[in-house]
Amino acid sequence: MRIFSLYGLGAALLVGLSMAATPVLAQQTLQLVKDRGHLRCQVGVPSPGFYQLAADGTWSGSDVSVCRAVATAIFGDPNKVEFQSVTSAVRFTALANGESDMLSRTATWTLFRDTQLGLDFTAVNFYDGQGFMVPKDSGIKSAFELKGATVCVLTGTTTELNLADFSRANNLDMQPVVFEDNNVRNDTYLKGGCDAVTNDKSGLASQKAGFPNPNDHVILPETISKEPLAPAVRQNDSQWMNLVRWVVFALINAEELGINSGNVDDMRKKPPSPEHARFLGVEGDLNKGLGLEKDWAYNIIKKVGNYGEVYDKYMGDGSPEGIGIPRSGSANALWTQGGLMYSPPFR
Amino acid sequence: MASVESQSGDVIVFTPKASKPPPPTTVGVLGWLRENLFYSWFSAIVTFAALYLIFITFAALYQWGIADAVWEAESRRQCLDASPHGACWAGIIVWFNGIIYGRFPLDEQWRVDLGFILLVLWLAPFWFPRLTGKIGIGITAVVFYPFLAGYLFAGGERGWFMQTMVLLAVTVFITNWLHIVVSMVTGRSLREWVVGVTGFADKHERLHKYPMLGFQGIVLIGVYLWLGNWSVSEVNTNLWGGLFLTLLISVLAIVTALPGGVALALARRSHMPVIRVSAIAFIELFRSVPLITVLFMAVTMMPLFLPPDFQLNKLVQAIIGVCLFAAAYMAEVVRGGLQAVPNGQYEAAKAMGLTYWKSMNLIILPQALKLMIPNIVSNFLGLVKDTTLVSIIGLYDMLLMLKAAGQNPIWIGLHTEPLVFGAIVYFILCFAMSQYSQALERKLKTTR
Repeated sequence: MRIFSLYGLGAALLVGLSMAATPVLAQQTLQLVKDRGHLRCQVGVPSPGFYQLAADGTWSGSDVSVCRAVATAIFGDPNKVEFQSVTSAVRFTALANGESDMLSRTATWTLFRDTQLGLDFTAVNFYDGQGFMVPKDSGIKSAFELKGATVCVLTGTTTELNLADFSRANNLDMQPVVFEDNNVRNDTYLKGGCDAVTNDKSGLASQKAGFPNPNDHVILPETISKEPLAPAVRQNDSQWMNLVRWVVFALINAEELGINSGNVDDMRKKPPSPEHARFLGVEGDLNKGLGLEKDWAYNIIKKVGNYGEVYDKYMGDGSPEGIGIPRSGSANALWTQGGLMYSPPFR
Repeated sequence: MASVESQSGDVIVFTPKASKPPPPTTVGVLGWLRENLFYSWFSAIVTFAALYLIFITFAALYQWGIADAVWEAESRRQCLDASPHGACWAGIIVWFNGIIYGRFPLDEQWRVDLGFILLVLWLAPFWFPRLTGKIGIGITAVVFYPFLAGYLFAGGERGWFMQTMVLLAVTVFITNWLHIVVSMVTGRSLREWVVGVTGFADKHERLHKYPMLGFQGIVLIGVYLWLGNWSVSEVNTNLWGGLFLTLLISVLAIVTALPGGVALALARRSHMPVIRVSAIAFIELFRSVPLITVLFMAVTMMPLFLPPDFQLNKLVQAIIGVCLFAAAYMAEVVRGGLQAVPNGQYEAAKAMGLTYWKSMNLIILPQALKLMIPNIVSNFLGLVKDTTLVSIIGLYDMLLMLKAAGQNPIWIGLHTEPLVFGAIVYFILCFAMSQYSQALERKLKTTR
């Protein structure tokens, strides 16, 4: 009989463990964050433009700004964030096990990830896509001219698969040259080891900026894959998902309404329209459903800026820090200017 | 002495002529060159080929790393404009603090320095000749230093336990050094000196500990008045990084691996089945999986099995993982050493009537560990380099800081220089360790 009671004990332990294994999900993330006093936001290993580390240890970048915006919405302080820099191998586990409250790190929104990994994507904050870069003096103007070309590509990524698909669909017979490491791939390309290099366009732009002569290389206009990048949260926490989603929308909406960190104070004093008044919390109670203070959107714009400001600073070609991806005419422009950046109405 | 008496009675002493000097081509520099480098036409060709290879390598390295290098610039672009084919050491200079301290706040970095200096001061007496009580100093270093250093690095509020340990650590540190100074000046230990000054010298020896305790109590009160309210601001462990983190993890792993490994090795050779089987299970489990798996398990899986409000620290989890892993490997090294000790030693120890622990401590382990020094040290060297794996779970050790430098838009593309710098730092660390171990071997004369 003793052996059975041992089995019983083992079974009870297993049940106990598996019940303990889903604890974080039961709790409301917003309450958890408020109680803790700061947000735990997961970013990746430094990637220019999106999340980058300065020599003094501070984080910046467009995805980092989303983290800061969420922290500002909750606490009114963009610095109440603990950044967790996690490699992509464990990114979703670190979210699922409650280590991170949210994930804001160039994760492509796909059906599989949205439905099978226990996470919910919120709203797209950057439309990326795979492209090609060639030396300028090759005279190539379009990806369709790359017939029989050798192309440098990172192995084990969707980039490699997309390249094969594109090559086969268009009968281009491209020869992939695969690499493990960005830097080695770039060095090979620069030494003429391949005719072109392929990567997400944001990556191409930032790597081009690091070349000895960036102007000797061009990024071809074709985009061969869809990479909508969106912050994600744990599944089954609608309140928290709404909050992160509407923080991203707030960034976009502010730009649409012409509110930026410079004029937001004036706008709040004299709202030019009821829409502005509602957005900045002067009228109505849009904050209630989100569980936030009335001035949450005002705080975001005041302390982080609107979508356009963030884009220009980190992704655009205007500022010294920006990685030089032109915005006008791309999917990342506002819908009013032919892009895809569109916020549902704030009412 | 070969002397012969000639017929006339004179003694002829054989005096050999001074031998001729050896031909100049076989001695001195020339002889050495001829013997080692130009012994035959074939070896001469090999020599010239090797010299040429060395020359082109070093010439290129010199050209890149020194002649064409840029030492002052504000961005990689400026470096490239100044010298497109030279090293951009300016980037390393800008990132130097980051590489050493990680994201530790700039104003607080002195705390890391202080912690390191305290460790050196604490351990320095080991190299002083003719000093008594070294073992005591070593024990205090293991028992008290970690708390003092831990508080210096982490900061924040001190609970009653931390307060006690920090104050005790400072007290012990001060009395250690008083002991060293007194010993150097008077040739007597601090204890003898205190006993003498307080007039306990003619009392019974059993009472001698009281004046020493009293003395330490007074120092403790002084330390309490001095540091009781002292505190430093909190630095979250996710800001720890760079070489500091690399060293921290390595030192903790090394410090726990050796005793842990000895315990496991003894357990594995034990005659008690439960102990032996659990030791075998532990060692084999940890040796059969890669370190990265252990780290992943420790960091991402463990939280799933813990209650939600029980937040473990990622760094602590990783350190525990590395320590267990290192102990398992060390156990097998030590076991090898135990097996190398001849059976006669075990039997002799038993015949002397020594208990198990006494025979281990006095007879077996000293011989085994002495034999094992090269293996133990290569294990440690491997461990120091293995710690770079923590970068995969997002701890900003030196390697990750070096990589982060090249991902900053201002320094984008700076990847060769940081890696060269990292290689130099690792070489210095590991070479120093291996030299130290060789010195230790010579001192302990391990050859039998």
